[in-house]
Amino acid sequence: MNKPNGFVAVQTISLPWPVRWPAWRSILPWSSLTVPALLLLVWSALSASGWISPQLLPSPLTVADAGIALWQDGELQGHLGVSLSRLAVGFGIGALGGLAFGAALAVSRNVEDYAGGLFHLFRHIPTIALIPPFILAFGVGETFKILIVVKGVFFPVAIAAHDAVRNIPRGYFEVARLYKLSRPAVIRHLLLPATLPSILTGLRIGLDRSWMLLVVAEQIAAENGIGQMMEMARQIFRIDIVMLGVVLTGVIGFALDRSVRQLETLTTRWKR
Amino acid sequence: MSLFAERLRKGKPLVLPLLLLVLWQWLSGQGPAYAMVFVPAGQMLAGIDELLSSGELGHALAASVSRMALGLVIGAGSGFALAVATASLRPLDRALTPVLNAVRQVPLLGWAPLLGLWLGNGEPAKLFVIAMAAFFPTLLGTYEGLRGVDRRYRELAAISKLSPWQGFVQVSLPAASPNVLTGVSQSLAVAWMAAVGTELLFAAGPGLGTLMFTAETGARMDVVLVCVAVIGVLGYTLSRLFEWLARWLLRWRDAVST
Repeated sequence: MNKPNGFVAVQTISLPWPVRWPAWRSILPWSSLTVPALLLLVWSALSASGWISPQLLPSPLTVADAGIALWQDGELQGHLGVSLSRLAVGFGIGALGGLAFGAALAVSRNVEDYAGGLFHLFRHIPTIALIPPFILAFGVGETFKILIVVKGVFFPVAIAAHDAVRNIPRGYFEVARLYKLSRPAVIRHLLLPATLPSILTGLRIGLDRSWMLLVVAEQIAAENGIGQMMEMARQIFRIDIVMLGVVLTGVIGFALDRSVRQLETLTTRWKR
Repeated sequence: MSLFAERLRKGKPLVLPLLLLVLWQWLSGQGPAYAMVFVPAGQMLAGIDELLSSGELGHALAASVSRMALGLVIGAGSGFALAVATASLRPLDRALTPVLNAVRQVPLLGWAPLLGLWLGNGEPAKLFVIAMAAFFPTLLGTYEGLRGVDRRYRELAAISKLSPWQGFVQVSLPAASPNVLTGVSQSLAVAWMAAVGTELLFAAGPGLGTLMFTAETGARMDVVLVCVAVIGVLGYTLSRLFEWLARWLLRWRDAVST
């Protein structure tokens, strides 16, 4: 027994069947859905108990109703679509730019000499602090929100790309030269596999940050989008819509994170 | 490399910033609409002078930093305590970890509207968001650190007849301390971001974010830019200071290994 605490010991004592943990486990599979389901149960119990006024904690059903009503109006799809397309455009620009710049910074002495200092200076400015100057400079339209997303993605991806390219051992390239590999072959067989894992991690961090930044930017200045939906609902005390927004941003954030993680495991399978 | 080439190389990092400054100053002269965004250098200096002499900047800075510090202490402290509890009690770990993971999925400042309704847009809501931001990195760092303590160390503690408390303080905690400190340093960075973010979202009460927000509504780009610079420099300085503190706290490790 190398686990020092009480829980393992309880298992070894023979408890009557319904109490024994493994038996429960086979009936109730501890899946990823168990916790959300339990949270939902606790939430409904709390709001049904009457301890907390429904104005502060509406039941999950009320929230779901609000969601259905908004969906039937077509409003919810609108907000989600707008937010996700802002994210997609900003993420695309920021990720491509970050990749290119990070790789250039790693490879070229000149890029490092001329732009390195500025890059590290801007890297240390928290993106969230750039929301007010961006609003002043670009207005409250789409440009400012997309630029906030771009800033959120560009730096983590650029740093990941820079480190990934820098960390490729020199010897690999020498071997490639000995085998007289063509440039596309070097990219396909050396550069991509060597750098992809850390670049994907950079992309995941960037995606995670920029999703939060977008939701904040939409709360501060927007005509639509999931953040604006929450902010509007907050001002008119529609707590059910606010909670719907919180749950949705969580689910979307989780889904985005999961899909990049999936890509990471898919592309790094050769490692194992 | 000749001396001249060496000088040239040293000058390279200055080229782009200088060009940008010249471009900035040129653009500021292209009419009032441009001058609003590209604040001329003179106005910029006047703005800095005004902010400093009125004490506005110092006041906002002190408010933001002290709020961040309080939130950090609450958040990182409770994260540390909970990590100690979950790392040593399996049932608690099983029950709490998935719940905390679910909470973590919502982007931090996505909670702001809900917390604003529950706690109002005053000090409690801001503190709560900052503490929540600081909570998770310390929790994860401490948990990982304690879970990764070499089993032989704990066995040694048991053989040495240390009480659980002594074992924790003298063995587990020092062994886990690098991870704990990494967690706290991440907490510091996120807490600073959260402090600025909540002040922007709940623009009430003193703070750099609020100052920035009022300046934005008044189209005072000079004030906004000064705030951005102060926020950036302060965030960088704080993380550097903490890095230094962490190295000092961990100095015993070098003594052990050499």
